[in-house]
Amino acid sequence: MSLNRALLLVLLGTAVVPAIAQQIELPGSKSADKQDTPKPETSGAAQAAGTTPAPPAGNPAPTSPGAGTPASGTNAAVKAGPKVTVDESALRYFASQGDTRRMDAEIARLRALYPDWNPPSDLYAPIAQSDAELENMWRLFGEGKYSDVRSAIAARQASQTGWTPPADLLARLDEAEARRRLVNASDAQQWATVLRVATDTPALLTCASVDVIWRVAEAFVKTSQPDRAQDAYTYVLNNCTNSAERVATIQKAMGTLDDKRIDQLMTLERKNPDSVGEFKALREEMLRRKVGQAALDSKTLISQDELTAMGELARAAKGAGDPLVLAWYLYRHDQQAAALEWFKLALDRDGGAKAAEGYVLTMVAQGRAVEAEPIAYQWRDSSPENRKAYLDTVVSLLTTDPPILLDQSVIDHFSPIVLGSKYVSGAQALGWYAYNTGQLPIALTWFQTAVNWAPNDEPSAYGLALTLFRLNETAALNDVVARWRGRSERIMALTDPVLRARLAAEEAAKAAANPQLNQQLQAQQQQLRLIDPVGAAAARARAGLDMNSVGPVNAARAVGAPAPAASRIPAAYGTAPAAVGSQPAASSNVMSYQQNMPAAVGGPAFPAALGTTARAYGTSAVAAQAVPMQTARAPLSAQASGPAVEPAGTSVIVRKGAPEPRVSTTRSRGQVATRSGRGCLANTQNAYRSGRITPGAAVSRGWCLMDLNRPMEAVEAFDLALKNGASGKTAEDAAYGKSLAYMRKNLTNDAQIAATETPQTPRRATQLNVDILAQRAITSYKDDRFVEAIIALDERARLVPEDQGLMMIRGWSYFHLRDMQSADRIFKALAAAGNKDAQAGVFAILDYTRKYRY
Amino acid sequence: MKRLAAFLAGALMLAVSIHPLRAEPRDAMIPNDAWKQYLARFVDSSGRVVDDANNQISHSEGQGYGMLLAFLADDRAAFERIWSFTRTELLIRDDGLAAWRWDPGKSPHITDVNAASDGDLLIAYALARAGESWNEPGYTTSARRIAKAIGKVMVIQAHDQTLLLPGAKGFSAAERPDGPILNPSYWIFEALPVMAQLAPETNWNALGRSGLDIIRASLMGPAKLPPDWISYANGTPRLADGFPPVFGYNSLRIVLYLLRAGMKDATVLATFQRNWLTTNGGVAVVDIKSGRIVTRLTEPGYRMLGALLACTTDGVNIPDDLRQFQPTLYYPSTLHLLSLALVLEKYPQCL
Repeated sequence: MSLNRALLLVLLGTAVVPAIAQQIELPGSKSADKQDTPKPETSGAAQAAGTTPAPPAGNPAPTSPGAGTPASGTNAAVKAGPKVTVDESALRYFASQGDTRRMDAEIARLRALYPDWNPPSDLYAPIAQSDAELENMWRLFGEGKYSDVRSAIAARQASQTGWTPPADLLARLDEAEARRRLVNASDAQQWATVLRVATDTPALLTCASVDVIWRVAEAFVKTSQPDRAQDAYTYVLNNCTNSAERVATIQKAMGTLDDKRIDQLMTLERKNPDSVGEFKALREEMLRRKVGQAALDSKTLISQDELTAMGELARAAKGAGDPLVLAWYLYRHDQQAAALEWFKLALDRDGGAKAAEGYVLTMVAQGRAVEAEPIAYQWRDSSPENRKAYLDTVVSLLTTDPPILLDQSVIDHFSPIVLGSKYVSGAQALGWYAYNTGQLPIALTWFQTAVNWAPNDEPSAYGLALTLFRLNETAALNDVVARWRGRSERIMALTDPVLRARLAAEEAAKAAANPQLNQQLQAQQQQLRLIDPVGAAAARARAGLDMNSVGPVNAARAVGAPAPAASRIPAAYGTAPAAVGSQPAASSNVMSYQQNMPAAVGGPAFPAALGTTARAYGTSAVAAQAVPMQTARAPLSAQASGPAVEPAGTSVIVRKGAPEPRVSTTRSRGQVATRSGRGCLANTQNAYRSGRITPGAAVSRGWCLMDLNRPMEAVEAFDLALKNGASGKTAEDAAYGKSLAYMRKNLTNDAQIAATETPQTPRRATQLNVDILAQRAITSYKDDRFVEAIIALDERARLVPEDQGLMMIRGWSYFHLRDMQSADRIFKALAAAGNKDAQAGVFAILDYTRKYRY
Repeated sequence: MKRLAAFLAGALMLAVSIHPLRAEPRDAMIPNDAWKQYLARFVDSSGRVVDDANNQISHSEGQGYGMLLAFLADDRAAFERIWSFTRTELLIRDDGLAAWRWDPGKSPHITDVNAASDGDLLIAYALARAGESWNEPGYTTSARRIAKAIGKVMVIQAHDQTLLLPGAKGFSAAERPDGPILNPSYWIFEALPVMAQLAPETNWNALGRSGLDIIRASLMGPAKLPPDWISYANGTPRLADGFPPVFGYNSLRIVLYLLRAGMKDATVLATFQRNWLTTNGGVAVVDIKSGRIVTRLTEPGYRMLGALLACTTDGVNIPDDLRQFQPTLYYPSTLHLLSLALVLEKYPQCL
């Protein structure tokens, strides 16, 4: 390294002969003078020659005491001394050959070396010498065949004793080879060699070969000598006239030096003949670069003037590039409204994926994710960034607080992508959305899916545990808690009221003790929401849970607030049965939700999330059936002959050993049945306590309890209604509610008994039986009781046609019973009907039979 | 300088002694017609020595061989041509060594800027001899610069020995768990005394001794031949990881280098003779672990190595067909000419 440094000093002091020596004396004002009156090269050179090159004392960083001495001795001053004879043989040779290009280059070179020199007037006079061999050497040199020249010289020296080549030829040859060597070294990033060659061959550093100066400048940059690099660029701008090279010099500098140095170099600008500064386009490029860099860093600010200029640039340009640069800057600097306009312009100008990404992100940042979703979806496959923007958009939609009603297409688009890419956060977000909209079984499925994909992801497990808690699935909940014991307090708290109370109390205490902290926490949560909306959703859910159990102060509210998030659901969204019934969108939304249920719910301990359960959230069968169904994916049955059969399905997975049948049960026409339990229970509380509750009120109470997911209490309420003399429609409702409540608990036999307690209307009776039988088939299947599953299915098939989901269960039941023929028939029929999951069954059979054949 | 002159004087005297026999130009140690054929076949007009068995690439080793052969052929014009290319295209490394690999099909042409110590040794050696012989101080200056760089970058101390790394990068103990990795055929013994004149700060004599020690210790496997690449991690040669475990194209020139340097080590040469010429019936690439022949090498340049060994140890005459040089591929042709030059110089009785 010390060698390097020494070289650099030498280079600066002596070597960069005409180059840096000239400009060192002309910082600031003098160079400005020069710039005002652009002169032909000769006069510039003459001016430089008139003043002795400054010693490196004027050099920006003289570090060595020796640095001052070498300069004066050896450099251009000597060569340019008045007595020096300029060797014009090469020039004359090129002239004689009519090679004007090389001739001009040679003139430029000689002028750079000898500022006093002028081309001879008799340039085209016949060359005196008639040395054919030497002429041949010059010819080879002119053709760049330096090795040939070397060889020819050596051959002649060997054959002709005492012959010496002209000094100029050797000097030119040395330079030419040195230039090649310097370029090769630069290409191979051997910067010390670049600088050494430049030092040894200072004549290379002239306007005739600006490329060499650029390479030397780059070598300075790479050896951490930006001052020297700037000197080199400055030399070009002060001395060289080729306008393309001047512009390129700034461009080279822009690739290597910081903006401050570039600005300094820019002051050496000259005016083009049309009085426009030669670097105008470069200034724009600079601005673009500056804004572009600032766009990467929210802490780097651009002045208002520059932003205005950038805006003008962006408007004037035809492409999307400039608007994008500006838009990203604005986006990162929290000027979303302005950013959005520029992104929009960029999109209009075919800015493509990048514009779409920015547009989407900006919309989301403005809280307009709903509007952003369609365009995000449209561009999702254009790049990883677009995909992320899309996923983030939907996640932010799903986890909006308070929950918003989403268009079906949003979920339709999102679910397959989540499933296809095993996107854990997406599954979680869907889980929270389902949870917050009261679709607990569906939430369960999504959380379970997330946990399957990422077994050690605490938030997923928390979602699962919380949902199980709400569903009173004690055994399954205990399993989850056991897995997370010692790793997650909030999960452990779900089975530990003491811990729960402690956590809540701690948080409350914190908040009370330090309101500021509380604000900070809120701010943090707000921040969290931006960064991790799913996590924020989980945090909200917990906050709700804690509120439920925190103590007497909140107790009254807690009673009325069944689900943490349910209380936040917009009133229009399911407070009253009628309202729900009149909300086709809500219903269809859920439908699509169910149809897109994930394909891999494992966990043997969990009851499958069944459509029937989902329906249990419905207000009443009548209301449910009144809801127009949007069966996006027409499930089955060309022979949909059943009277009130509206096939639909919640996909449910039943895992049985190797093959994983994907089954959809029938009849789920659940709706977003998020009747708030608040008030609902309170209304009947006194009457209930006094025991003088009317049958009608008892039925209402039963539905309330169903909504609160307290099915066993609901059974009591419905029983009370029947006991207290319910009759007619009320009795029917009570019995229906009771059977639904049993089904919720998977007590299907009880459900069937309950259903028979009161004669149901034919339609409802059929419906109930169909549901119960489907439930029983699934339960049997899950318990490996395949014969019973098939019996239940057969019984059910007498009432209504079997849908594809249950046919799958049938197929797999046969499979497990090793009735391969029957299974094969069913799977093939399903596959022929376009059911993709059935193919798995066909393969499983093939697999099985093959296994046993060999 | 004086010692270098003395060293060279011996060579010159030998050259003079063969002069009447072959009627070659004064000082030439390679027959002119053979050299012209070599030049025409393997050296292009830019001075690039082309490895025609290897996608027409060039390397520092080839340039060094070319310069050495040009010197031995007393062809100053060719020497200048090859040196011009070597200097401008390869000798660009910051440390003063040559980049080893140059590919005509790539841009930039240097596709691996690492250095190879045998190439640098050959270049420096050829420059030193040419500088002395032809009274070109410029050559000597360049030779000294390279010699110093080799000493600084490639010559290391390990296990109480002075060793030659094959490359500037990638072979040391710091860079590989089985490092240092050595290649016994990179010891160009005849060059070492010359290096000692040029760069006395490096102990080239010790390097020469260690080279012979390592070759002796590397005679391994059933065939007792040295593998091309050895690991010297514990101070005893072992097969190096990731290199073919063969006595191959690298190692087969060890005999040539030993003999050219006049190092007639009885143990090593006898082993080579026994396992090359007697047991295996000729020159071959041999699998170290099994001792079996992987490839039998029948080109004249390779057979010439066996003939050279038989000549120097048993005085067997060089077969007639090997006395005439016919270019085949770059590498065996190069070995052929170097062997021929040695026979002409020191063993004319085998002709």
